[in-house]
Amino acid sequence: MTDKTDVWQGTLSLMVLKTLDTMGPLHGYGIARRIEQISGDLLSVNYGTLYPSLLKLEQEGYVTSEWGVSDNNRRAKYYRLTRTGRKQLEKEAEQWGQATAILARFLSPEEKPI
Amino acid sequence: MRRLRAWLLRFSGMFQRRRRDQDLTEELEGHLRMHIDDNLRTGMTPEEARRHALIRLGGIESIKEDYRDRRGLPLLEGLVRDLRFAFRTLRRNPGFSLIVIITLALGIGANAAIFSAVYGVLLRPLPYQDGGQLVVLHQQAPAAHLSNVPFSVPEIFDYRQYSHTLNAVVEYHSMDFLLLGNDSAERVKSGIVSANFFDALGVRPLLGRTFVAADDSPNADAVIVLSYQYWQRHEGGEANIVGRVYQMNDRPHTVIGVLPPIPQYPEENDIYLPTSACPFRSSPKVIADRSMRMMTAFGRIKPGIPLASAQADLAVVANQMANQHPDSYPKEYGYALAADPLKQDLTRHARTTLLVLLGAAGFVLLIACANVANLQLARLLTRGRELAVRAALGASRARIIRQLLTETILLSFTGGALGLALAYPTLTLLVRFAARFTTRAAEVRIDPMVLVFTLAVSVISGLVFGLVPALSLGSRVSDALKQDSGQTTSSSGRQRLRTGLVLMQVAVSFILLIGAGLMIRSFLRLEQVDPGFNPDHVLVLNLSPNYSRFPKDEQQAETLLLGDNVLRALRSLAAVESVGMTSTFPLGQGTMARGPDSNRFQIEGRVVSQGELQPFTDATGVSPGYFETIRQPLMRGRMFSERDDGKAPNVAIINQTMVRHRWPAQDPIGKRISFDGGKTWITIVGIVGDAREYGLDHAIGDEVYVPMKQAGFSGGLVVRTAIDPEQMVSLVRKTIHDVDSQIAVDQVDTLERLRHESVASSRVTAILLGIFAGLALLISVSGIAGIMALSVSQRTRELGIRMALGQPKPSVVFMVVRQGLVIAMAGTVLGLAGAGALGRLLSSLLYETSPTDVLTFVAVSLIFVAVAALSCFVPAHRVTRIDPFAALRQE
Repeated sequence: MTDKTDVWQGTLSLMVLKTLDTMGPLHGYGIARRIEQISGDLLSVNYGTLYPSLLKLEQEGYVTSEWGVSDNNRRAKYYRLTRTGRKQLEKEAEQWGQATAILARFLSPEEKPI
Repeated sequence: MRRLRAWLLRFSGMFQRRRRDQDLTEELEGHLRMHIDDNLRTGMTPEEARRHALIRLGGIESIKEDYRDRRGLPLLEGLVRDLRFAFRTLRRNPGFSLIVIITLALGIGANAAIFSAVYGVLLRPLPYQDGGQLVVLHQQAPAAHLSNVPFSVPEIFDYRQYSHTLNAVVEYHSMDFLLLGNDSAERVKSGIVSANFFDALGVRPLLGRTFVAADDSPNADAVIVLSYQYWQRHEGGEANIVGRVYQMNDRPHTVIGVLPPIPQYPEENDIYLPTSACPFRSSPKVIADRSMRMMTAFGRIKPGIPLASAQADLAVVANQMANQHPDSYPKEYGYALAADPLKQDLTRHARTTLLVLLGAAGFVLLIACANVANLQLARLLTRGRELAVRAALGASRARIIRQLLTETILLSFTGGALGLALAYPTLTLLVRFAARFTTRAAEVRIDPMVLVFTLAVSVISGLVFGLVPALSLGSRVSDALKQDSGQTTSSSGRQRLRTGLVLMQVAVSFILLIGAGLMIRSFLRLEQVDPGFNPDHVLVLNLSPNYSRFPKDEQQAETLLLGDNVLRALRSLAAVESVGMTSTFPLGQGTMARGPDSNRFQIEGRVVSQGELQPFTDATGVSPGYFETIRQPLMRGRMFSERDDGKAPNVAIINQTMVRHRWPAQDPIGKRISFDGGKTWITIVGIVGDAREYGLDHAIGDEVYVPMKQAGFSGGLVVRTAIDPEQMVSLVRKTIHDVDSQIAVDQVDTLERLRHESVASSRVTAILLGIFAGLALLISVSGIAGIMALSVSQRTRELGIRMALGQPKPSVVFMVVRQGLVIAMAGTVLGLAGAGALGRLLSSLLYETSPTDVLTFVAVSLIFVAVAALSCFVPAHRVTRIDPFAALRQE
């Protein structure tokens, strides 16, 4: 259980950072919906788990937050990617790319020996 | 860095909780509203929209909980809460808390004190630069039972020149010189060292400089370096001391520097001189004579070279020397060289004693922990309901254990702090104690390492006495709720645990008592040793005349005459019964350090065959009146008289042991011996009783006494007084100075005090072990009494029924007492096994006492069982006050 949440926390942070990178400042609900859209319905997790993650990213200095007003005139807390957050996103994205490439090669059908 | 920032934010997150909670609530509300808006737009009914949004969000309270955990430091917050709660709980139970804190303070304090001695002496690195690379060289002659032969100058030169693994070889010896003031003389203890001595040890001067090679050459001006202590004591720490000139050995000596206040090795000296400034060491004969051995040698191993390689290298040099100079290294002696790390060498004598004491202190703490664990167990019984309620309200077992551990660690920390406060004042006593074994004692103090140790010991003891009871809590704490109010029963498992703890205490304190008993018995044996003389009412002191005042060829006669005059003047005093002079005091510090058997001799008419060892003996020069003064009895023949002077035939008196060794079946009187290879022969004229001059625990060896007028003057004075010798000191001093004001008088003492001092380390070890054992006994007895009292109060109803049914009171009491006695007996049996192991460890500290000494074992067992029985009987006696009917009605 714990392992699974740890992985989830890690990937979730990355997704949050990426979302903020493409969409610009956004509130928690918006981030959650966006992640859901992109991932299709493959990831069906409670939206609520997003908030501790956002707090962690904020404590680490990757995002900042401030209160604002949404399109529908609702008060909402907007999160914005910081410069270090962007750097972190690039770093993590690269690491993910490498990791998935390695795994993909591992899991693909065996190639002919050279 | 990023981590640290996050932690700081989380730390600050612990505050302003309410505002932050509100923030989150608002954010989540916003989230829900937006979601509901969206849902409504897709055509859901309002109820459906709200329900869907809530489901997708997840449990709000659990999100908030996660969020809060992430926001602050849940562990720390929990700890603060637990501490607050623990503090309240303990304050409600002041009796319990006080007993626990005092018990732990005694245990931890004992450990902190002993550990500071162990750390300062055995563990702390030497206060020298790279002290680990310093080695002490020892010449050994195993075949002749000599483990520490000093070095001669040529030997030191050879090791310096031919060893490849040593950076430096330094030489050291100590001598006393007379420092002349205007109208006074003072003896100063002088370290005579090679110029590289301080550099090799890595000692930087506090003022001025230390020696350089140029100081240590035959024509150099005489220079001296003062020790910090001497500079403070005699010069009042005068800042402009460098350049001051002292008159000593008939020539001026210029002060060039002052040492820093670090412990001096190998011994404390007042001043230091280079070898060229010592009239004795700089004489051509001493420099050339390979067999003139009187120096100590140290070496510094080159960096990166292991000790074993250095030892091998030095052995090669020793071998070469032995081959080149066979005369100086007789084959039959089996000469060899040993190099030991300086630290090990300095602390050899202290090691066993300190480790035994540390072990004993550790045992005391173990017992203290067991006792406190038992108290805690008993208290958990009465707190069963509180814990059950907490469990029922959702506290996990781990959470409850954490709470209990917080309480115990709070207690052990308080105990530790108090223990440290107790240890601090005992430190001066411990330093004095350790100083009998090693010069490193001066380094004993409460330093950060000791604080860390105390902290660690406190935490560990808190864990030990907290975890044992806490783990005994069943996995279903809430069961306690089903019990009657006030009625506390304990599971048989917990009862067994408590019995086991008491058993352990009993066994360990029994072991400690045996250890203390053995040490005390050994000490009493030592106290009862007949020294072979009567030290009572004897004043001893050392005279140092100003030799340089007399022309060289008249020195001998002049000093002997001076000695005669002093003796005569003292003899005329009313309170003086008799006086004598000697080259060494019995049990004096110098005597004990030198040890016996320093002279080779031969017996007329006995040929030592090739490969056989020549016999050794000690030779002491004494004046007429010496034996009478210390009351060393004459067994046969005659004492020395005034006629045994330089012109008379050479004579000697020997001790009984020598008679047994050398002339078991003959009369030694009239036989002749020689110390110089047969050039002069000395006739034996008397036999005196054996005297233990080298320590009461030292085996008696062969001893030869020669008349001082034939051996040469030396200044050891013994005075038998009719009144308390302490009261005679100033009169004796004045009388001596009336004869000659330029005689330095020092080492003033009484023979009785020297005797007392010679067994002091044994006495203090016995006392310390006795204190530890007493503490252990006290704690265990209170442990037994505690478990008995608990058992009586738990069995009140049962006992009441028994008495109501007619069982006589004494029989009921016996039944209860028996339960405790069985534990005490079983513990004693366990302890007996452990005591055997301890005895072996102690055996090197014991004097003529077997580690399995029957009397000690029987006596300690009896005392122990008697005390245990008493501790059982007192609580059991309460049984007799039980009113059977009241007990029956109790519910």
